[in-house]
Amino acid sequence: MTVEQIEEKQSAPADSPGSGAGTRRQYAQEVLALARRWWIELLRERLNLVFSLAQPAIWLVFFGAGVERAIDTKVIGTDDYIGFMLAGIVTFTIVGNGVSGAMPLLWDKETGYLDRLMSMPIARSSVIVSRFVFQVAQQSAQILLVVLVALALGVRIATGPFGMLVILLTAALLTMSVTAAFSALAYAVPQHGTFFAVAGFVSLPLLFMSNAFVPLEAMPVWMEVVARLNPLTYAIEAMRTLVLNGWEPRVAASLAVLLFAGAICLALGTWQFRKQTGERVRG
Amino acid sequence: MSPAIETVALRKTFGDNVAIDALDLSVERGDVFGLLGPNGAGKTTTIRMLTTLLAPDSGAARVCGFDVSAQPSEVRQRIGYVMQRVAYRGLLTGRECVEIEAALYHLPRREIPVLAEAALDAVGMLPHADRRWTTYSGGMQKRLDLACGLLHSPEVLVLDEPSLGLDVQSRHNVWEFVADRRLGGATILLATNYLDEADRLCNKVAIIDHGRVVVQGSPSELKRSVGADVVEVATREPERLRRVIETERWVKKIVIGELGDLHIFVEDAAVALPAVMRIGLEHGIGLERVTYSQPSLDDVFLLHTGRELREVAMAP
Ligand SMILES: Nc1ncnc2c1ncn2[C@@H]1O[C@H](COP(=O)(O)OP(=O)(O)OP(=O)(O)O)[C@@H](O)[C@H]1O
Ligand SMILES: [Mg+2]
Repeated sequence: MTVEQIEEKQSAPADSPGSGAGTRRQYAQEVLALARRWWIELLRERLNLVFSLAQPAIWLVFFGAGVERAIDTKVIGTDDYIGFMLAGIVTFTIVGNGVSGAMPLLWDKETGYLDRLMSMPIARSSVIVSRFVFQVAQQSAQILLVVLVALALGVRIATGPFGMLVILLTAALLTMSVTAAFSALAYAVPQHGTFFAVAGFVSLPLLFMSNAFVPLEAMPVWMEVVARLNPLTYAIEAMRTLVLNGWEPRVAASLAVLLFAGAICLALGTWQFRKQTGERVRG
Repeated sequence: MSPAIETVALRKTFGDNVAIDALDLSVERGDVFGLLGPNGAGKTTTIRMLTTLLAPDSGAARVCGFDVSAQPSEVRQRIGYVMQRVAYRGLLTGRECVEIEAALYHLPRREIPVLAEAALDAVGMLPHADRRWTTYSGGMQKRLDLACGLLHSPEVLVLDEPSLGLDVQSRHNVWEFVADRRLGGATILLATNYLDEADRLCNKVAIIDHGRVVVQGSPSELKRSVGADVVEVATREPERLRRVIETERWVKKIVIGELGDLHIFVEDAAVALPAVMRIGLEHGIGLERVTYSQPSLDDVFLLHTGRELREVAMAP
């Protein structure tokens, strides 16, 4: 997005002082206007809203009340099964939302509204950035709700309120990566059928090939290797450590890996977006 | 002042398909310029290049003096674009659509509600502003698009088949809309398949086919260039009739349209009409219908391309 802003500054007439500030204000206006669009849609799709808000909390209760009894606490290394599952369920939600969150971009592309947007004097990136901002905000609200439900179910977060903040931050980072990756897919596919086929194909393995349900230590070696290549693993590790253990160095290490994965996904997303709009004139 | 739109040897290919081939257009400020041509002629492709949605392969296109490739943001600020296809806008109401797009054009935040109302009012959509746009009829959706296109009072308004699929009433609304914009000083580029629309609204038209300008000028100039009158004859044996009257002195040119009608371009219909009937009778060629008309843009197109635009345009 910085590149876009620089380009805009250069093309702005030289005799308009303060055009840089104006550009930044305009950029904010664009992102807000587009986010307003997402926001209205979310409110109108009430059923969708209720389900997506409640779903992770329901998972948590379900796991807490039922699955807990079938679990060998020696394998997961803690008595607090709900606390153990919390990170996994947060991640679960993020992946699910990543798929549904890329859909509006897909529709805009397919129905031609993207063209309408691209004919306007807006920075190219505001289309994607608005979606990211929106997704992260929506996701944070959802995760806050799950965490509150977990607290109500008796989970105690080892790192306290500040740790909770870091959990939200971790989730936001993962949301960025996942949203970027699925947006890249939305822009790359020839039509929506392909998107759903691929998204459906990758989501579940992505979750099962991570430490969402089983800690890395309890995995067979080959599975651990696969899980270590999966960015979800690091988000889960960071969040789980913050919930169960406290401030440990591996939290920082996991966040670093996540940041790196986020950068790659973002580059991928930008690349596909540019490719999609590549026939068009840049600006 | 630089022309509103100028293209020089503009070219665009899709693989082997040459969509636009050496296109030269010049649209003066204040013109209502009609881009005419059958399906696939390259109207939308031209418009997509002018609205910076498609990069030209070669040649240049300038809008208000700004090059579409080198200064796209300058161009985007000055154009309003109404697409051929109605834009999909999710679950929003008409008013929300317009307000959001107003913000995307960076209109001052405080003025947006007022400007949005004015734009909706200009297309007669104010009474329906607070309904979801998906509940609108096709014509109303198109008018919503028009409202969005004029929000920021663009210097150049680009309308891609604005009255496609509209009923008579809605078409008249669109025409009034165009006439109003013109009075407001805007330049309008209008792609259309409807020749009557172009005839009525445009002060200049360019007929394009296979990505090239076939002929351009004001509608009356073009019609004058056809000749005085056109006699249309419907018959089962168009080829034979053509052969027997081809040599007549009063015939300037004969073209057979796609429905098999004979279009005979003549000096004076008063002489030609009885002559055609007499010759038909003499040779025993049954004539089903004989009419004559002042030349229309249709005839202009037919004369220059040997094909009829009307049938093409009538097809859904
Ligand atoms: N994205 C594309 N990829 C490949 N070919 C294309 C593409 N867009 C247009 N074409 C081709 O370019 C030519 C011109 O198409 P264009 O859409 O400009 O026609 P048009 O004059 O707008 O026709 P219509 O009256 O049907 O809207 C056609 O042969 C079309 O098949
Ligand atoms: Mg078209």
